[in-house]
Amino acid sequence: MNSIIRYTVTFLLLIALQLLIFNNIEFSGYVNPYVYVMFILILPVAMPSWILLLLGFLTGFVIDLFSGTMGVHTFATVIAAYVRPWVLSLNVTAETAEGEMSPSSYRSGLRWFLVYTATVVLAHHLALFLVETFSFRLFLQTLLRVLLSTAVTTFFIVLFDFIRPHR
Amino acid sequence: MRSLLNFLLRFRTLILFLVLEAVALVMISTSHNYHQTVFYGISRNISGFVAKRLERGTYYFRLRQVNDELVRENTILKREIVSLSSARQEGITAVTDSVNGVNYTYLNARVISNSVNKQKNFITLDKGTRHGVALGMGVASPSGVVGVVVGVSRNYSVVMSLLNTDFRLSASIARNDYFGSLAWDGSNYRYARLSEIPHHVMVNEGDTIVTSGFSAIFPAGLMAGTLTGEQKRGGDFVSLKVMLSVDFKKLTNVYVIGNLTREEREKLEEEVVQ
Repeated sequence: MNSIIRYTVTFLLLIALQLLIFNNIEFSGYVNPYVYVMFILILPVAMPSWILLLLGFLTGFVIDLFSGTMGVHTFATVIAAYVRPWVLSLNVTAETAEGEMSPSSYRSGLRWFLVYTATVVLAHHLALFLVETFSFRLFLQTLLRVLLSTAVTTFFIVLFDFIRPHR
Repeated sequence: MRSLLNFLLRFRTLILFLVLEAVALVMISTSHNYHQTVFYGISRNISGFVAKRLERGTYYFRLRQVNDELVRENTILKREIVSLSSARQEGITAVTDSVNGVNYTYLNARVISNSVNKQKNFITLDKGTRHGVALGMGVASPSGVVGVVVGVSRNYSVVMSLLNTDFRLSASIARNDYFGSLAWDGSNYRYARLSEIPHHVMVNEGDTIVTSGFSAIFPAGLMAGTLTGEQKRGGDFVSLKVMLSVDFKKLTNVYVIGNLTREEREKLEEEVVQ
């Protein structure tokens, strides 16, 4: 019960942070960080994949609703939720296998968390920017946006992971 | 039957994944009329409220630039008054019924949320139906064309920015009146392309691009940008790179332009075409 409240608060915080601050970052048009993906990243390791998918859908939908981009974020966040268990199983360590635990650099080391975050964020941004452009025209330009934004998003998520309370 | 159930159970994650993605894709494909839905109206009211509070803080820091813009516009208006009053004195035109000549109404509005970094950028204004804003009205800033109103609620309206890959503006070269279609290609927010200009048209770097007035949304001759001299050839037409006159990153005060005779004009055009 306690953890449900904690995750709800985290969810609301990340959504507010994204809409009020990160959506307003306009740095050369190539860097658009979407830190709300962090919510999908820090859900408990043992969470069933169908709940993950539904939560991914909900998160993307809320972002879409407030930024006027119907469906685009929903599509990308569901992809992020789908690849997450797969990425987790690829770099599983003894530590991360524990059920209730939330993936973090605190438990599993900075390097592990960095690789894990970057992979899921990359999948999310790739889907997001491709669907947003909706064509392979200007593909290289879109790819540049994906890579730069992934780097910045990952940086912020790792930063937030440092300052969030770990039990 | 049993094996079917087993199959469904085995792939339940994949199936759920595909279903959710299908829903998302349907949402994307129906998003062109999304700005008229009730759903969006509610969310716009909430985010409009928040954006208005935020904007109030940041507005103060832009006062200097807003001032400059207003002074510049004042100068232009003053010049116009002088030229008009001298014309009257010479007795060239005597306007008796002044209402008859008015075609466009101007309503000033404040930009409360804006972006330039997406492929489909929208702008939110602090005026809505309560102030007389309606769907399809044009929006311009003192320096030029900004966009078209695509959604209104009581207190707010959403404008499809010129920086939206779906936006097309009928524009012409002011010097020789050749017209084409002005659109943004989604890369740099300072530049757009004017396409469908015939080969043989002579153009110079720095030529002014203005609205053509063919669409009943904008009056003719409204500033849109200047030619950079760069051009791309393809088929019988060339497309010209245009530097936009409006800097969308600094957008603060805009005008919502209403056309008083628009309905009459569109009705007539429709009747004749059918």
